[in-house]
Amino acid sequence: MLHVENLTASIGDIPILNGLNLDVGAGEVHAIMGPNGSGKSTFAHALAGRDGYEIGGVATLDGANLLDMEPEERAAAGIFMGFQYPVEIPGVNNMYFLRTAVNSVRRARGDDEISAREFLKVAQEAMDLVEMKQGFLNRSVNAGFSGGEKKRNEILQMAVMQPKLAVLDETDSGLDIDALRVVASGVNSLRGPERSIIVITHYQRLLDYIKPDFVHVLVEGKIVESGDHTLALHLEEKGYADFLGDPDAELSGASA
Amino acid sequence: MTLATLPSQAAALDKVSSLDLPTKRDEAWRYAPHKSLANLTFGQGSMPSAVPGDVDAQIPELDGPRIVLVNGVIDAERSDLSAVPAGVSFVGLADVPAAKAPLLDQIHRSADDAFSIINRAYGSGGALIQVDGQPSLEGQPAVLHIVDVLVPGQQQNASTSRVVIDVAAGSSVTVVETRIGSGEMFGGSNVRTEITLAENATVEHVILQDLPAAQFHIGRVDVTQAAGSTLNARLFNLGADYGRVAYHVHLTGEGAHADLSGLYFGFGTQTLDQQVTVVHEAPNCTSRQSYRGVLDDSSTGIWNGGVDVRPGADGTDSEQSNDNLLLSKQADINTMPRLEILADEVSCQHGATVGQLDETALYYMRSRGIHEEEASKLLINGFADQVMDDLENEVVRAWITKRLGHDHE
Repeated sequence: MLHVENLTASIGDIPILNGLNLDVGAGEVHAIMGPNGSGKSTFAHALAGRDGYEIGGVATLDGANLLDMEPEERAAAGIFMGFQYPVEIPGVNNMYFLRTAVNSVRRARGDDEISAREFLKVAQEAMDLVEMKQGFLNRSVNAGFSGGEKKRNEILQMAVMQPKLAVLDETDSGLDIDALRVVASGVNSLRGPERSIIVITHYQRLLDYIKPDFVHVLVEGKIVESGDHTLALHLEEKGYADFLGDPDAELSGASA
Repeated sequence: MTLATLPSQAAALDKVSSLDLPTKRDEAWRYAPHKSLANLTFGQGSMPSAVPGDVDAQIPELDGPRIVLVNGVIDAERSDLSAVPAGVSFVGLADVPAAKAPLLDQIHRSADDAFSIINRAYGSGGALIQVDGQPSLEGQPAVLHIVDVLVPGQQQNASTSRVVIDVAAGSSVTVVETRIGSGEMFGGSNVRTEITLAENATVEHVILQDLPAAQFHIGRVDVTQAAGSTLNARLFNLGADYGRVAYHVHLTGEGAHADLSGLYFGFGTQTLDQQVTVVHEAPNCTSRQSYRGVLDDSSTGIWNGGVDVRPGADGTDSEQSNDNLLLSKQADINTMPRLEILADEVSCQHGATVGQLDETALYYMRSRGIHEEEASKLLINGFADQVMDDLENEVVRAWITKRLGHDHE
């Protein structure tokens, strides 16, 4: 589904991704772990299409070249990024925002727009999924939301958008244990044979709830180790020390 | 006694031939197009032989009585006074009985800038609203509508009119003033509004300024508030090449409250000028000024908002805010909060912001599939809607929404 080959990203003269390789098959859940500054968020933004990076290499989704696309085209192609810091948009109604997003993507795909009434049903199901109250949709997007509410709103959006590939950037950061459980069970219920998920996280904790098929270690802009979920347990115990400052570590390469 | 013989008018007519128009040195007129202002030609109002066809579609269809003025003269065909609610007197100035003439003379004489003098000299057309009680129409609070239409002529390209609103103790009313124009000829309208609120009266006053791009609008609103009264003033300063509205609000009785907010939305080479002064003359009054501007292309916005706290106005509580969104590098905003405090135990806060569209928010929306253009529109509307939220009348809200091209839901 997702094919990433020798992906590089830099801001000005500062390289952040240094030849990242990753393949994600349909229905797979991959976790990317790594120390601060290793390029985890940059990788997510490079896939979502944020401006400001010099990008090189290859990234395709079902064969389509993502790197040529605007962010909205990537969304239409099936990419969804869950933000580490969801943006507050005062004055823009959450419900209207969601429906505009869904209809924009439908239009881009040549599908009919969804009616307000029909959408309400879809939104209601998504809200149940993340245990949100009705009033939530009538507030401005993320404005004044608590950290947990923001992250739940991300998962709500994911549920409504039904992406092919979700990239969740540190969705667990700033969550207490209850919110973490809600967010994780939301993600789990969205798992399916046609949907792939990349979970980017700093801590192994989230992976107790969302069990990944593959775990990758990202260090200095490259994937230096890949394995199954036991790799996360190893990292939890030993930290990233094994992988830091070892230029040969990359030889183990990306798998999956 | 007819209005032509009001003492204030006679005095103004004497002065009008030798007026000094405002210059750059007048702080309140600093960014006005001084040269072009001199090209406005005023005189006694005269109805054009035919009202152009582009006028009717511009008028919001509010339920309730309305007076339509064309070049300062009542257009009987477009006006509708068939359902004036009980407790309201709503008449053209020409129909005001002589006994009420002093009412029209009261505040009028005070303002001494050139355009106020011009308005005194020629502004014999307009409307007088007197309210006693809580007028309603079909169970809803009544809305009185005054539409001022400019149709520039060959001889005279500018119009003058007046609106006088007098609200009795404990009474309340909503007045909407729509100010529009016709055609592509240069010209300007000069509208003066005087509002007097007796004790515990409440007025919602809305101005929709939407003159054509070739024309000027010069508006001035003078308000006098007695104890416990509430003014809610909403300005939508949208049209005209130079669109200006100046508020002068005097809180003369204890515990009066003035809440002024507005939105200006500039395109092309428009200059949109809001001048707001609230004078706290009595103790324990509160005032809020909250204005938002969106400026695109090479438009210019001006917000000059002042609070004067006079001696003895102890316990004053005022807040001023002016937030601006610049959509283009050529757009310009001049924001000037002013404060003069001559009393004790006051709380006066002010803040101004100038920003561009939030790039991160744009990216966030685009990552959800929303096209860049639509995402910008949503952000701009979200910014502007916070002023719309202050509006109580749904029809007015819908008219502005449509005018700004952001129909949604």
